[in-house]
Parts: sequence; structure tokens; C-alpha cells
Amino acid sequence: MAQLETTDHYLQTNSAHAQEQIYWAGQRHGFLQRAPGYLAMLLCLLVIGLPVYWMVIGAFKQSSEIYHIPPTWLPLEPTLTNFSKAWNSAPFGRYYVNTLITTIFGSAFEIVFAVTSAYAFAFLRFPRKEWLFVLLLAALMVPAQVTILPNYLTVAQLGWVNSYAGIIVPGAAVAYGTFLLRQYYRTLPLEVIDAAKVDGAGYLRTLMAVVVPLAKPAIISFGLLSVVAKWNDFLWPLIVTNTRDMRVLPIGIYWLRVEEGSIDWGVIMAGTLFVVVPIVLIFLYAQRYIVDGIAAGAVKG
Amino acid sequence: MSQYALNRRQLLQGMAAGAGMLALAACAPVMTPAAAPAEGAAGDAAASARQPVTVTLWSSYTGKNGEAEAELVKRFNESQSDVVLDYQFQGSYEETAQKLTAALQAKTAPEISLLSDVWWFKFYLNQVLLPLDDLLAAENVDLADYQDSLINEGVRQGKHYWIPFARSTPLFYYNKEKWSEAGLPDRGPETWAEFSEWAPKLVKMDGDAMATAAFAHPDGASYIAWLFQPVTWQFGGKFSDPDFTMHMTDENTVRAGQFYADTVHEFKWAQPTKDISADFINGLAAATMMSTGSMGGVKANATFDFGTAFLPKETNFGCCTGGAGLSILSNTPAEKQQPAMQYLAFASSPESTAFWAQSTGYMPVRKSALESEAMQSYFVEFPQFKTATEQLPLTQPQDAARVFVPNGDQIIGKGLERITVQSEDVATVFADVQATLEQEAQPIIESLKAVEG
Amino acid sequence: MSSTPSSKPLPPARARRGAAPAERREWLLFALLVGPNLLLFAVFTYWPLLYNGYLSFVRWDLLAPVKLWVGLDNYRELFTSAAFAGILVNTVVFTVATVALICGLGLLLALLLNQPLRGRNGVRAVVFSPVMLSGAAIGLVWIYIFDPRYGLLDIFIRGVGLRSPNWLLDPAWAMTAIVIVHVWKNLGYAVVIFLAGLQAIPRELYEAAVVDGAGSGARLRHITLPGLSPVLFFLLLTTTLTGFQAFDIIKVMTDGGPVDATTTLIYYLYQEGFVGFNAGRAGVAAVLLFVMMFAFTVVQMRTSERHVHYS
Repeated sequence: MAQLETTDHYLQTNSAHAQEQIYWAGQRHGFLQRAPGYLAMLLCLLVIGLPVYWMVIGAFKQSSEIYHIPPTWLPLEPTLTNFSKAWNSAPFGRYYVNTLITTIFGSAFEIVFAVTSAYAFAFLRFPRKEWLFVLLLAALMVPAQVTILPNYLTVAQLGWVNSYAGIIVPGAAVAYGTFLLRQYYRTLPLEVIDAAKVDGAGYLRTLMAVVVPLAKPAIISFGLLSVVAKWNDFLWPLIVTNTRDMRVLPIGIYWLRVEEGSIDWGVIMAGTLFVVVPIVLIFLYAQRYIVDGIAAGAVKG
Repeated sequence: MSQYALNRRQLLQGMAAGAGMLALAACAPVMTPAAAPAEGAAGDAAASARQPVTVTLWSSYTGKNGEAEAELVKRFNESQSDVVLDYQFQGSYEETAQKLTAALQAKTAPEISLLSDVWWFKFYLNQVLLPLDDLLAAENVDLADYQDSLINEGVRQGKHYWIPFARSTPLFYYNKEKWSEAGLPDRGPETWAEFSEWAPKLVKMDGDAMATAAFAHPDGASYIAWLFQPVTWQFGGKFSDPDFTMHMTDENTVRAGQFYADTVHEFKWAQPTKDISADFINGLAAATMMSTGSMGGVKANATFDFGTAFLPKETNFGCCTGGAGLSILSNTPAEKQQPAMQYLAFASSPESTAFWAQSTGYMPVRKSALESEAMQSYFVEFPQFKTATEQLPLTQPQDAARVFVPNGDQIIGKGLERITVQSEDVATVFADVQATLEQEAQPIIESLKAVEG
Repeated sequence: MSSTPSSKPLPPARARRGAAPAERREWLLFALLVGPNLLLFAVFTYWPLLYNGYLSFVRWDLLAPVKLWVGLDNYRELFTSAAFAGILVNTVVFTVATVALICGLGLLLALLLNQPLRGRNGVRAVVFSPVMLSGAAIGLVWIYIFDPRYGLLDIFIRGVGLRSPNWLLDPAWAMTAIVIVHVWKNLGYAVVIFLAGLQAIPRELYEAAVVDGAGSGARLRHITLPGLSPVLFFLLLTTTLTGFQAFDIIKVMTDGGPVDATTTLIYYLYQEGFVGFNAGRAGVAAVLLFVMMFAFTVVQMRTSERHVHYS
């Protein structure tokens, strides 16, 4: 019972429009009064959506058409050759495998660390706990670019240059997720946790059997954010890999542009779709979790 | 992943990083070049009784040029069974040098690296390049057959460190269709003055916008400093002396700079662009100066007939060389040094250099290749290419400010962006550039003393 | 962000188990659960910060076997350099412009998408989607869009009878271009957070206001905006930090050029550290960047404690 309530509460940010409609219903706006709103929405759809549209149709244009002045809105003679050209210009199959590996392991580490650290910070007693928590959060203020040079040296010392460990481990620690889940754990009904304690469950079992299932929506939200971030990670993998068989997708498309002779925008747009499409699919499928994960950081903080 | 056994070093590393990381370290392929033998060679290697030695090459070519280089590597691996060459692309010349610097620090450097004209010297000064003379002798390489000016650029104190591979000169490229539309004779301009007369006829306006520029300037990242260097010489100026005395503020150097600025802002027939070769191929620029190494791409992609010519003169003729060569890193284990040299010799052999030149437009680095039957008939079939080799004897070595000062090329390039893209005062900008070059040259002068005495 | 300890529920264990061995077990468990995370932060975040501090006092190109101690030379050199001053200006311009646009436009869009308009969920999804896309991919797409001759933007600029600037090659426009792309990419983030903030405002407040005869303008001024203040402070902080850290787009689109016009502090740090291999100058930039971000965060949190209206 309590579990259901919590889940609903968490997702309320999205379903709140139901109650809002009650409020607005009293106002009786006619279509004409709302027309400016629809116009504004259309404008915003165009501004945000057109670049994406341009990317997609560019991938289907022949190179002569790309340089056509003025530009065309639809491919005159749609072609798929850009995709095969992009695919063959680098071992993209291998890049997909590598990106999957670094994304899955990288997010797995982040999720496990976030779940466990947040639990410890929310429920366990430890001297200077608050102080440690601030120390953890302070990591949010250190941009990855600040650490790349020293981290490269560290990874070199460990012999991890050009390895999955080298790509994954330096980014495995998690501050935002710890913060997010700790906030969420603290909204959980204490009775349930207490009940587990009375049953004689240890802390770890409480975590696994009670807290994790209750916090599932929040964990999924954070997990998806983590997956997206790892999938798109560009600079660190670029620096720490040396060989074709270790590189990841964003590097592959970055180098499509170095192509000597001519910039073939059709091929480049096709390449960017390699990176973008899987993320868009995830987004379409799990939009509410992702949006909640982002919104929760602000509203609950 | 499972093919990598968990060895003691990795175990220690895993422990060092704390629990939970262990499994990951175990499946992490620490860079072993053997991980990816070039295709085609694997079969031969297995058949051979002796274990072939694997040698790694880092290089920078993409597109047409990348395909040609991959073909060279394939031919090398098929030609013998002792050495397997593993070819790894590392990005642009700059990115390759950056990767190499980082890799030397991490002790994951390859045996062979392609190094551009502005980078090899930095590695030489840091004493990470192997002197190649003994290896060259053991491989029976005929040094006298290399183009003298090219091979000598890689010599310091009588020793060879940098073997010419993809060497180029700037050329004047022009679009023959646009030339005939403008009623111009089918040749490059003799002088910049002549081109200044032709250029307005080549410009096509589309309202306010320039649909076709007569000429295109690249940006700093695309080596505007390299292409501007011969222009300073043509105007009687120079970037610097070999002893690092800078001449950016000399009257003639500034005059050349002013000419560049004027083409854009005063005469309005030239345009700065991010990619001169794309602009040329797509008819957005009627002419440009570009590397011979861009010829393969232009030939493959241009839909019009194009011509090449010597660079225009001003008070003098002036032209430089450029491009990249191959070096062996000094931490290469003894048993891999000769195999590495085998590839250097192969890649710059008369047959290979002829193939490479025909595929890319880079110059044949061997005299005998130039005279070979294959090359001569290629000249007939594709006369644009001959211009480069005819211009080669007229070239002179590049100025120290660009090739020996760290980032000198980019420092000058940024200055040139300030006068072509922005319309800053040329004398002021060149004075800034001179000051920066002098500052950056200081450590080099010191190291040079330490290394060469 | 975490400064509300008073509302924290007491750990359930405290009341029941006070015994020493249990407490020790709890410590141990705590160390086990938090240890790996903190250890990784120590090695890959805090150690690099200290190490950057050290590097800021040396001259080193990564190749030389020794790091030459030069004291404050690197600091002196950078603080007297006009180019470096320009980079600091770029950083401030970029950050202020992107924060203002993201927060301003984000608020407007959130107010719009909070209206009962049909199809608004679809628009929300579209607005948010760029947040998820790879910066490298986005950068490439926008280079193509910005092309003054065959790009998408040119169609519209011509449409109103103007001539497209040479966006990425003209120093006066390149900064505008990367601001546009950064705002385009991150706007959805602000919209989502503002929307969540709007929906967290108690409905009764509006109902009461309607009963009192307050018009929509008054409700916006007296209920909506004050109600959004915690969210706004949060956004100011996070978008500023994001602005300081903007990298992929600059790397792909302009490489910091033309003529350093889009070189921000973080880009400078990367260029000196990993392109020019001046570890010393990169160290100075790293120290400076961290000090700036830290100072900003502290000031921001102090101000927010004092001024935020918690409903």
C-alpha cells in the first residue's frame, strides 16, 4: 500500500496536469484565446526541431545536392549510400560494441555506487557523515576536463591506457546519483524499513529487499541519465584510446569530418545518426523516467 | 576479451584500484599490438614457422589517402612473412603528435609514427627518435636515390631521423570551367599582379553574397601559415632565419601580409573558409593554393576539369616543401628496430612511392620513381600532377619559426586569421606574432644547445 | 543543495540499537558501502585537483624527464597576458549569455507548456530531446546548419533579405554561434525543471487568488514567480556550472577559434594541457577554474538560503 503511494508521489510531476486541468477548466478559454499559445508552440517546435530534421534529411541527400544553392527541403533523389559510406569509413560495428561495453559497465558502476552510497548516507551513522557528503557533492564542481591530464598520467601508471578499464574506471564514481537517491530514500515510509528491521533483516538485506524495490523508479531514472551520459562521452575516450578496436562511436563520427578532399556532409549526417538514434529510441521508450530524474534533482533539493 | 589471460601486472593493477575493479581489469586488453594484425597477413603468419614480429604504425590519413595507405600496409604485409604491420589511424597530424606525446608518457608509444614537418623536430629535441643510419645501411637503402632536398630535411648532425614519405609542395589549383567562362588563358597566373587583374572576372555574386570567390584562404588549423610562407618569400620577406632570428616585422613580410588582407577586405575577391578543398571542389572558389596531397581528393570528387600551376611570383619565385615523414621511436626494442625499418624502406621504395604518389598527389620521394615507366605514363595521362614534381627542384627549406618553434605554425596561423578573417592592422598583428614566436623559441634554443652542443 | 539537515528523518536504527558493537558494525558497513565511491573520487577527482595545483608551479611538456620548478612564473605570465584576459572575458560572456538565455527562455517555454494546450506533451518531448544527444554529433550538425552558403540558417536569413555572416570563421559571430548551440541543446533541461517547479506550487494558492479576484498577471507575479524561486536558484547554479564546463560543442565546431574567439577557460585548459602540452599553464587554468566554480557555488548557496521563498 505504502509502496504504491510513494511511486505515485514520485511521478506526480508528470501526471499533475490532470489536476491542473480541473483548475483550468473553470477558466473556459476558447480556441481563439489559445491561438497565440498554439502559435508559440509551433514556433518552438520549429526552432528546436528543424536542426534535427536537417540532420535527418542531410543523411539522405546526395553530395551534389548538399552544396546546392539555395538548399532543398526534401532530398531530390534520396539515397542510402551515405550510410554505407559512413559505416565503411571506420569499423563502426566495433565502435558499437565498445560503446555498449563502456556504457553498460560504466553505468552499472555508477548505479551500484549510487544505490549503496546513498543508503549509507541516508540511514547509517558515521562520524563526520555530513562532512563526507559535502565532500562527495563537491566533486560535481570539478569538470572532467580539469582532471584529464593528471588522470591520464594515473591511468598510464596503472597500465590502463587503451583499455576498457582506462575508459570506465576514472568516471565510475558518482556524486549526482548519490545525492538524488539519498533524497529519495529519505522520502520512503519509515514504517516499512522498521518492519524489516523487526523481522531481523540486516542492513544489507534491508537495502536489497526493501529499499531498492521501493526506490526503483528513482534508480531507473538515474540509471537512464547515466546511460545517456556514458553513451555520449567523447573527450576522455578520445584521449585514452589508441587503436581502432578500442574506440567508441562519438570518436568515429568526429573523425568523419577530418576526411581529406572534401567534407561530405551527407556522410557525416548519416554518421551522427548512428550515435543519436539509439538514444532517441531510449528516450521515446522511457521519457518520463528520464525527465523525472532531472526534475527530481531540483525540486527535491 | 577472454583471450587475454589475467597476468600478474594486471592483477596488481586491479588490486590497486580497489575491490570491484578487478573483474574489469581482467578483461581489459592492455595494448598489445598483436591484438589486431592487419588482415591478409594472418594466414601467412600462421603458416610461417617463425613467429612474425608485430610492429605498430601510427598515421594520419583519411579518405582517398587513407585508402592508399591501407593498401600500402596490406602490400607490405603480403610481401613478406617476418613482420606484421599494425596500422592505426590517430587523427590529424596535430592529433597524431599529441597522441604520441601522451603515449610516450604512458609508455604505450608505437614503433613507427608518421610525423609532420612541424612536429618531428620536437620529438627529435626530446631525444625520442632513433637515429636510422645503421638500420638504413642494414636494409641496403640507397639514400642517394631519394630527392636530396627531401631526405636532407630529416638529417641532424649527419644522422637521419625522419624519412620522407608523404611530401608535398603548395600548388596553384584552378577550375578550368570558371577560367574559360571568364575568358582567361588556360594556365595559372604568372604573378600575383596578374591574378589581381583576373580575379574580379572570376567572382560571382549572388545578391550581396559571394557565390564564387576567385580565391580561398584556409584557417590556421588548415595550415594557412604553410601556404602563406612562400608568399612572404615571393614578396622578399620571411618568417625567420635558421638561427631563430624572427623576421615577421620586416617590411616585405608585412607587405605580403597586407596583400593577403587586401585580397579579402580591399579587393574583395578572396574569401576565408574552413575547408579550401571542399570550396574548390564544389565550385565555391575558382582557384586556391593547396597541397599536392589534396590532388587525389580533388581528382576523385571534382566534377569539372581542373589545372595546376606553379605558385605565382611577386618580386621572386618562392615555394616550400611540406607534408610528413616516418620516424622510428627510440624506445623500440632492439628486435623490432630492423622490422620497423623494413616498413620504412618499403613505404619509401621506388615502387611504393610511385603508387602512393599516383593515388594521392604527394610527390614521389625517389629519383628513380620519377623516371620510371609507370610514373612517366601517368604524367601523360594526368599532367596536373607533373607540375608538383617540376616545382620541387625550385623549393627551399621552411623557416624555423614555422617548423622548429613549438606550435609556431599555429601561432603564425592565428595571426593570419586576425588579418584575413578580422581586418586587424597587419603590422600590429605581426609584431604580436613576432613577440610570441620569440618567447616560444627560447626553450628550443636552450634544448638545441643541450642536444647538439 | 543538501543544506536542509533539520528535516532529515532520524535513522530508524538509532532508537533501538545503541550498543557499541552494533555501532562499530555500522561504521564498517558504512565504509564498505561508501568506500569504493569515495576512493575513486579521491584518486580521479581530488588527487588531480591537488596535482594540477602542483603543476601550476612547474614548466613541463610531458616529454622532458624533469619538471622544472618555476614558482609563480606561470601565474605571472598568464595574468599579464592580453590573450589570457580575452579568454577570461570569453568565459564570462559565454556563461552569462547562456545562463540568461537558458533560464529566461526556459521560464517562458515552461509557462507556455504548462497551459492546457493540446499536443503540449509532444512539444515538451521535442524541446527536451537535444539534452540527450551527443555533443559531438550536435556540433557537427550545427556546422552544417551555420554554413553561410548552403546551410539551413541561411535560408531564413536570406528570407528576411539579409546576408548570412560567416558564423564560424568570423570572430564577431563565432561566439554567438556557440552560444546558440549551447542554449539550443540545454534549453530543455531548464524547461523540465521549471515545469516541475510550476507543478509543485500548491493549487490552492491559485484557487484562493481567483476567489480574491486576482488577474492572471497578478497571479504570475505574486504566486508563480515567488513559487519558482527555489527552482530558479537551482537552475542558475547548475546552468552556470554547465556553462563553465561546455566543451564538446566548442571542440567540434570551432576548436576555440577563430583567433581564440571561442576559447573559454575550460577550452584553454584542454589546449594547453593536451594539445600544446604546457602542463604548467594548464595547471594555472585548472586552479583558476576550480576557484571560480567553488566561489560561485558558495556565494550562490549563501544567497539562496537568504532569499529563496520556500512555499
